[in-house]
Amino acid sequence: MSQIQERGSTHVYKVNKISREEMESMVERCVYAHPPFCSAACPLKLDARAFLEAAAAGNFKKALQLYEKIAPFPLVLAMGCEAPCERSCRLGEIGEAVQIRAVEEAAARFGQTQRLGSVFRTRKKKSVAIFGSGLFALFLAGELEKKAYPLSVFCEEADAERFLKSETGFLDEEAFRSELKRLQGMDIQFVFGCAIDRAFIEEKRAAFDVACASPAVREKLFPEAECIPALMYCEDLKLVSGPCSGVLDAAFGAKKAALTVDRLAQNLDPRNARGQEGPVESRLYTDLSEARELTRVPMNGAGCTREEAAREAGRCIRCHCEECLKSCAYLAHYKKHPGLFAREIYNNTQIIMGDHPLNKPMNSCALCGQCTVVCPNGVDMARVCLDARRNMVSTDKMPLAPHEFALLDMLFSNEEAFLSRPQPGFDTCRYVFFPGCQAAAIAPETVKAAYLDLCDRLNGGVALMLGCCGAIGGWAGRTELEEQTRVFLDRELSKLGDPIVIAGCPMCKKELAGHEGLQITGIWDVLLEIGLPGGGHRLERPAALHDSCGARGDEKTQTAIRELAMRLGCELIETDYSGDRSPCCGYGGLAAYANREVAQEMTEKCLARSDAPYITYCMACRDRFARQGRESKHILELIYGTEAGAPPDISEKRYHRLMLKKELLRELWQEETKDMKLDYELNYTEQARRMMDERMILTDDVIAVMDELRKTGACIFDEESGLFIACRRIGNATFWVKFSREGDARYLVHRAWSHRMTVVKREG
Amino acid sequence: MAEKNYYTIDPEGKLTCMRCGVPLIKGKARFLYLDNGFPVELPVCPVCGFVYVPEELALGKVAAVERALEDK
Ligand code: SF4
Ligand code: SF4
Ligand code: SF4
Ligand SMILES: [Zn+2]
Repeated sequence: MSQIQERGSTHVYKVNKISREEMESMVERCVYAHPPFCSAACPLKLDARAFLEAAAAGNFKKALQLYEKIAPFPLVLAMGCEAPCERSCRLGEIGEAVQIRAVEEAAARFGQTQRLGSVFRTRKKKSVAIFGSGLFALFLAGELEKKAYPLSVFCEEADAERFLKSETGFLDEEAFRSELKRLQGMDIQFVFGCAIDRAFIEEKRAAFDVACASPAVREKLFPEAECIPALMYCEDLKLVSGPCSGVLDAAFGAKKAALTVDRLAQNLDPRNARGQEGPVESRLYTDLSEARELTRVPMNGAGCTREEAAREAGRCIRCHCEECLKSCAYLAHYKKHPGLFAREIYNNTQIIMGDHPLNKPMNSCALCGQCTVVCPNGVDMARVCLDARRNMVSTDKMPLAPHEFALLDMLFSNEEAFLSRPQPGFDTCRYVFFPGCQAAAIAPETVKAAYLDLCDRLNGGVALMLGCCGAIGGWAGRTELEEQTRVFLDRELSKLGDPIVIAGCPMCKKELAGHEGLQITGIWDVLLEIGLPGGGHRLERPAALHDSCGARGDEKTQTAIRELAMRLGCELIETDYSGDRSPCCGYGGLAAYANREVAQEMTEKCLARSDAPYITYCMACRDRFARQGRESKHILELIYGTEAGAPPDISEKRYHRLMLKKELLRELWQEETKDMKLDYELNYTEQARRMMDERMILTDDVIAVMDELRKTGACIFDEESGLFIACRRIGNATFWVKFSREGDARYLVHRAWSHRMTVVKREG
Repeated sequence: MAEKNYYTIDPEGKLTCMRCGVPLIKGKARFLYLDNGFPVELPVCPVCGFVYVPEELALGKVAAVERALEDK
């Protein structure tokens, strides 16, 4: 029996199959973290999605708190803002943009709470002075007060009311009163009625660490001063000031100026460490098809009601990209966007010592390629996960446990169950039928019927090759094994005269197409050409067609299957996510071996598309759907009128392959194979059978245990259950069988379990 | 110094080694996996040294430790 070497525990680093640059470029492509277009256009970076969400829920208090982050005087900004966000709102492309500004104004009116005095705050050590009035001075005072600078404002106005009035004529009376209250509640030292000239400034600023001036003061007193608008700073004067025009620009200027003050207060160059300021470019993708409310709710400034404001906010579709999460059960399970996930998975491959927490997630991807198709930017998680697996294998850090069963199954397909023969009467053949390991395991009768039909109707001889294409080794990240399989199959094919391969499975077709000089087609293409064999039947009810992920990007195959189904008279239902967008059934990428739960969710996701029966063209899909209790038929079952019946368990899948080989060898090639008859009787309770399937224990494993028992007599008797227990180490696992016996040659298996650890007696 | 046992099961005379015809006793054993070892006390045959790993232990603790070591 074949065996695969368990991984070592020494830390070798052989090859790096995934480069940081490659990973970064993938991460870079994913736009989930990009801001929505409205926020991107806002120089103050309002989190418009969150803001509108709160307002839509009628939570104006929370909405205002979010708005206050960018607006120390919310009504001033909201009523005066030019609202570039609205011009960028995606809804504007298909209807009317969300009136974000009007909602801001409503939030500023409805969200007011009693502002707590700021007396108990610890103030900063460094102090700041502002000379002048107007919007910039007002906003800057608000920003600096928020940052807790001891702050003095020197202005010509006689009182706070007149200070606020400067450049805010657009406020109505109520709004003005509200903002005045806000101003008066702030921790600002005002010096009113100043005659501000150069000497005044020189004299007063000496007592402060940083001095700021309104644009009007600076222009009047220092017309020659050069200022850097990006910093709002006149370097030669050491004065924080700069030009601004309009309300939003004043607010933005104040934001930049406040950052400059921060830097100066710490004696640092104001040019550095500023991060991204102002409007940004966003490449966020948004599916606009779900937008429903395309026309604006009439809102009339101060007269607007809470309900109107909430309704208008509710029109926002909260632009975000999750095309991949919507379609892939695996990503949805882990709730992670590829932009984040890819980096974590890459990092996992770089861990030399310690836990690899991303092993399981990395092994749970179906490698199906659906994300690449649905993602507007073609992000390819399959590449990331496959490269990560290969990397782990090459550095000997990949645990064998999750994939061992599948890998041994592949070896079984290409050793004990392997068959390669030219059609009787031929030495070499024009064609070879390659049904794929799953077809032989799940529907041996169908494979046989298809092969006999091809022999019958094609000229030049049709050889048969029962085996595995090697995809399993590839999925496991074991490139060496995949390569060995390739060499082995190529050798067998050359013995048959390098025939044209007729694949019975789209995944095999894809895998074998990678062999150099190999000609390949699908049985579906052949049947389209030579016509249906007769004896087939349609499904009585309309059926949903499930496209195999092996046929992604292979339009010819997808079309051929539809055509065949139509010729059979089937009525097909096309679902969302069909064709290239089809999800994986859960078999792909060995997901089902590494993570049953995720694979199950993948199957459910497939089945959620329709209540109808499914027609598939991959046997693994057929099997997983049927196991889930859904009527499902492989197209070849319909074409040949053969019924694969109830889904086989793991042992039956092996048995089917062996029996198919034996039967065909006997019937077509007159070769008898030795019967592997046991010289004792071995039966299983139904519970034992189920348990073994669940625990990936084969009848072959049980037989090996019983053989050993009969040789050595080693077993124990458990008084409590009245049953015997025997065990044997096979490959990398120890198998235990609990059984009853009748005489010396009859056993009934009740339970079975296994573990990978070895156990030894220890002395002392 | 005695090693700390990670797990102890006493067969309490309910298990018999059929080859040797004697009851299993609580004895010292060691699990090994990927170069890690864990001392335990399990039902052991005092004559031939057969060590018994009960189903609950295999599917519970042992499986959990296996998963943890595999991802090291
Ligand atoms: S579809 Fe997914 S992977 Fe692609 S950009 Fe959007 S969030 Fe990122
Ligand atoms: S729909 Fe909402 S999130 Fe999208 S751009 Fe418009 S306001 Fe912004
Ligand atoms: S399971 Fe398929 S769709 Fe999901 S991440 Fe993996 S390759 Fe992409
Ligand atoms: Zn014994």
